[in-house]
Amino acid sequence: MSAVVSPIREPLIEGGKSYHQITEDLVGPTEKVPGFSWILCMAISLGLFTLGIVSIFWTIFFGIGTWDLNRTIGWGWDITNFVWWIGIGHAGTLISAILLLFRQKWRTGVNRAAEAMTIFAVMCAGLFPVIHMGRVWLAFFIFPYPNTRGPLWVNFNSPLLWDVFAISTYFTVSLLFWYTGLVPDFATVRDRASGIRKKIYSFLSFGWTGSAKHWQRWESLSLVLAGLATPLVLSVHTIVSFDFATSVIPGWHTTIFPPYFVAGAIFSGFAMVLTLMIITRKALNLEEYITLQHVESMNKVILATGSIVGVAYLTELFISWYSGYIYEQFAFYNRAAGIYWWSYFGMMFCNVISPQFFWSKKLRRNITFTFFMSIFINIGMWFERFVIIATTLARDYLPSSWSYYTPTWVEMGIYIGTFGLFFVLYLLFSRVAPVVAVAEVKSILKTAGDQYVGANATHTHHDRQERATHIND
Amino acid sequence: MNQFTFEGKQKTVLGLFILLGLVCMGLTYLTDDELHTRFWSNFLHNTVFFTGIAFVSTFVMAAFTSAYAGWHTIFRRIWEAYSLFLIVGLGLLMVLIGGVWLHYHHLYHWTDVTALQPYVNDAGVYSDVIKEGFKENPNYDVVLGGKSSFLNKYWYTFGTIITVGVWYLFAKRLRSLSLSEDENGDTSYSHHKKIKFVSAVFLPIAAFSSAAMIWQWVMSLDAHWYSTMFAWYATASWFVAALALTILMIIYLKSKGYLEELTGEHIHDLGKYMFAFSVFWTYLWFSQYMLIWYANNGEETVYFHTRMRQYPVLFYGNLIMNFALPFLILMRNETKRKFGTVGFTAALVFFAHWFDFFQMIKPSARINAEHAMHAHHSAGGHDHEAGGHAVDAGHQFLMGFDFPGFLDIGTFLGFAALFVFFAFSRMAQASLIPKNDPYLGESLHHHV
Repeated sequence: MSAVVSPIREPLIEGGKSYHQITEDLVGPTEKVPGFSWILCMAISLGLFTLGIVSIFWTIFFGIGTWDLNRTIGWGWDITNFVWWIGIGHAGTLISAILLLFRQKWRTGVNRAAEAMTIFAVMCAGLFPVIHMGRVWLAFFIFPYPNTRGPLWVNFNSPLLWDVFAISTYFTVSLLFWYTGLVPDFATVRDRASGIRKKIYSFLSFGWTGSAKHWQRWESLSLVLAGLATPLVLSVHTIVSFDFATSVIPGWHTTIFPPYFVAGAIFSGFAMVLTLMIITRKALNLEEYITLQHVESMNKVILATGSIVGVAYLTELFISWYSGYIYEQFAFYNRAAGIYWWSYFGMMFCNVISPQFFWSKKLRRNITFTFFMSIFINIGMWFERFVIIATTLARDYLPSSWSYYTPTWVEMGIYIGTFGLFFVLYLLFSRVAPVVAVAEVKSILKTAGDQYVGANATHTHHDRQERATHIND
Repeated sequence: MNQFTFEGKQKTVLGLFILLGLVCMGLTYLTDDELHTRFWSNFLHNTVFFTGIAFVSTFVMAAFTSAYAGWHTIFRRIWEAYSLFLIVGLGLLMVLIGGVWLHYHHLYHWTDVTALQPYVNDAGVYSDVIKEGFKENPNYDVVLGGKSSFLNKYWYTFGTIITVGVWYLFAKRLRSLSLSEDENGDTSYSHHKKIKFVSAVFLPIAAFSSAAMIWQWVMSLDAHWYSTMFAWYATASWFVAALALTILMIIYLKSKGYLEELTGEHIHDLGKYMFAFSVFWTYLWFSQYMLIWYANNGEETVYFHTRMRQYPVLFYGNLIMNFALPFLILMRNETKRKFGTVGFTAALVFFAHWFDFFQMIKPSARINAEHAMHAHHSAGGHDHEAGGHAVDAGHQFLMGFDFPGFLDIGTFLGFAALFVFFAFSRMAQASLIPKNDPYLGESLHHHV
């Protein structure tokens, strides 16, 4: 990281923070008794989670028949929700791994919460394929190991099995990455704590002393994990896209699916990060750490990935015509003008058209607008998966088996329940760990604090003289 | 020393290489088949390759500016020089367009007007609907007919002129703002703000239009075949080639004493880019190949089937040179900081992406030509089964198609020399390191 900072870069830490002040601000929330709003949110989340548990229990007790799936539409809300949650789980590792490799300093403000979100989202996602199996008690059949089931062995040719490997690897590496980042911060919490808290954080921080050797190992581990996690970010949604694209179903079998799914996943992941961070920064008074500059950067990522997704949608649409293949052409005609036209419209509107508002700098820096946009995008990305799954399946090659699908209360209950699970975990996380990475924010203070860079910098900076005197030959 | 001078010696050497290219093209033309397929496919191949590098240079400059990247400022002028080659590329494309109109070449099956409409009368007039005196057109190709509102000479001509023209205007605007910043830039950084604006506008335009151009120029060689990934795949290939050529240029300039402030830190990052995007290219290659292989749909597999069975050197050589070698060589940190190793890999990868386009273009051009010659000899006997693919058993090695021969390499060197000649002439117009750029300080003190 260069110590010289461009005069046009905006600061990423405001309020002229000292190192101590950063610790106070970021560790503080873990040391206080939760307020009323936290308890209220927790109660609501637990309520939703309970509904989810009841619905899952209902599904397992009475069987998959309690869902509205039928012979034609074998995948409905379950797989839509699975892909949706998996997609959301992409931003965290993108921020922590790819942006680390690209030396993006603004990642430090949001990486911790984004990684936590990733882990919780992947947990929600993993739930769906498992209960979709019907006989959940046989879920261990997905693991390939020498067994006594005779010829009943996993199908290595199936992308569904690759999903098992991809997602479990992704979950493991993301968890490791997250925890690695947490170790020095847990040590900071430990050093300020007493009694039983001190014991717990002592255990969690693995005896971290902050010695140079520790930091050096920590840095190399972070880099190694970033190197491992980067292909994983791509692989997970690539393989999810293979679930569809390896088939010969018109509308699913298209070669652009892998990169387009990855772009869409990052798109929805960032939207969810924004939804959460906008609430979190307000609730925990973190406006000086998650600044408008951070929000704007994330909105730019959203604009970029949303437009990539837009290019992919139009490519698909165009090539379906260009292919000269009538079933392919029908699949896209059916998406746009068939029985589920509203979901196609919702997808196009929320994912392609609405992010274009972010061309305006004013809107990129408008918190309220960004918040609504982030919700919009999450709705749009849900529609995208619904369009791909339900719309396509509802109109297959054989008109006699054409069908329509609406979810039952059980399916809705499970989906709502995953929100409960997600927010319960997130709320717990916001109480036990600093939601902004303390050590990493401190690492950028001298190159991104507002007393060092930007219009109000008070510390002298050698960059300006440097620029004036340098190479003018 | 940051003012590049285009020396007489360099001009001579490059001029000789251009001459070599012209001689090779002439020889190719004379020793070619009756349709001059090798000549024209070489022309298309090199034009698309170098125009693509110019396009990607513009795109990557715009993308870096929009992403607030600072480290590349020190060598930004190289990309500016590359991007201006778009105007030369447009000139070269005009030759291809002329060839379509005047029927000088048969690169594209869709230029066969006899195949596009289902009915024909005795006077040789074609029609979409059956009319008095019309009978069924024996040459009719239903797939080409269906695509003819996109695959036609008007789209090819005006799509190309408008698109590449617009790209060039953006490249020129970015360049003139950058030059003006040298002269008049101050701490309000108003030039940079304008550059940022132009860059942001360029990105979506480039993203949409480049795909359409790749479909027209390259994918339509296999007019029956289609793949949604193809445009991104080809763009990734261009991008790695542009990176490699940038690294080679930097190393050359440093060897001549220019760009003293450019250090191993910059090369390290460029090496990382080359590594990462070689892997990205492979990712796109694999996704496209795997999905087509897995679905095993004859209309799609024909593309890879032809290449794997009949052109194994192109098919596997492409993967070895563009994935295996850069992946293994650039894996370690140290190798990405050594000018020699990075330079060697860049040279390899640059050639390899040229080879990738060779692999995309040549087999298809050959099939189209054989098809056209066959149709010509059997006087209108349009063979529906052939539909653009030859039979395995009859495949014979043909220099310039199965493998690049001396003439093709000579042509490549000629085009490369033209590109470098043009880039040098543009680099000589201004300081090699931009002045007054707000990110200059970061770039000069870059440390990874």
